[in-house]
Amino acid sequence: MNVALEGKVYPDTTFTVEPERVKLFRAAIGEQREIVPPTFATAAEFAVLPLIVGDPELGLDFTRVVHAEQEYEWRRPFRMGEALTVRSRIASIRQKAGNGFLTIHTELLDPEGELVVLARATMIERGA
Amino acid sequence: MPELRLRFEDLFVGYEIPGRATVILRQQIKIYADASGDQNPLHQDDDFARAVGFPSIIAHGMLTMGELAECLTDWLGDLAALLRLKVQFRAPVFVDDWIVAEGRVKSLDPKARTAVLDVWVSVERDGTTEYPIRKGEAVVGFADP
Repeated sequence: MNVALEGKVYPDTTFTVEPERVKLFRAAIGEQREIVPPTFATAAEFAVLPLIVGDPELGLDFTRVVHAEQEYEWRRPFRMGEALTVRSRIASIRQKAGNGFLTIHTELLDPEGELVVLARATMIERGA
Repeated sequence: MPELRLRFEDLFVGYEIPGRATVILRQQIKIYADASGDQNPLHQDDDFARAVGFPSIIAHGMLTMGELAECLTDWLGDLAALLRLKVQFRAPVFVDDWIVAEGRVKSLDPKARTAVLDVWVSVERDGTTEYPIRKGEAVVGFADP
């Protein structure tokens, strides 16, 4: 893993809280109510995460990567149909005991630029 | 019938929230892949999973986290909100595993009307208990009384 990529900011992506996608997400996690589950944030995160994990500059070996930690901070609930800006960056890259630790911070922003969710994901690339 | 509404005032340190048990089905893991956009073959392709050292596909850690968040939001209803959730993924969840999400109040801030909870997800397999999520932390916030 290329440690020089720490701090890299990825291009903004738009993610819409689509009713059909929310319905599928509710079915997957067993939510009975007509709400947008807070962890629907994961779907927005994954609008960008595969681009980072698969970034050729980063050189991550996908077959040795496990998702180690995840954190969300919610500033308000999602609104059905709203379009959010997904802004991700590599917050840190560390090598420890032969394993690589990659932490990605993602902000979900509404059209007014207000933060809706802050996500922090840490992946471990296990030593070969 | 007395009104059974969750109130901040009823919480105390050590308060245990209702646990939530769910069986994780293969079809559900596929639905989660499509709903979340996490199409990692580790969660869909048994041959791939074996090649990277697992006996079969495993559920997405984020699916387990989603079930934990469900446990919290079911408990909170529309009277309080999940403000923060932090977890570490410590053990795999396999197809047909019964996972149990639980939590316990660790501290209270009456001024902010927030509670911090220890949260975890366990699975019983062959008589041993494993923790796909252990030492998780959640912060929940209640509206004004």
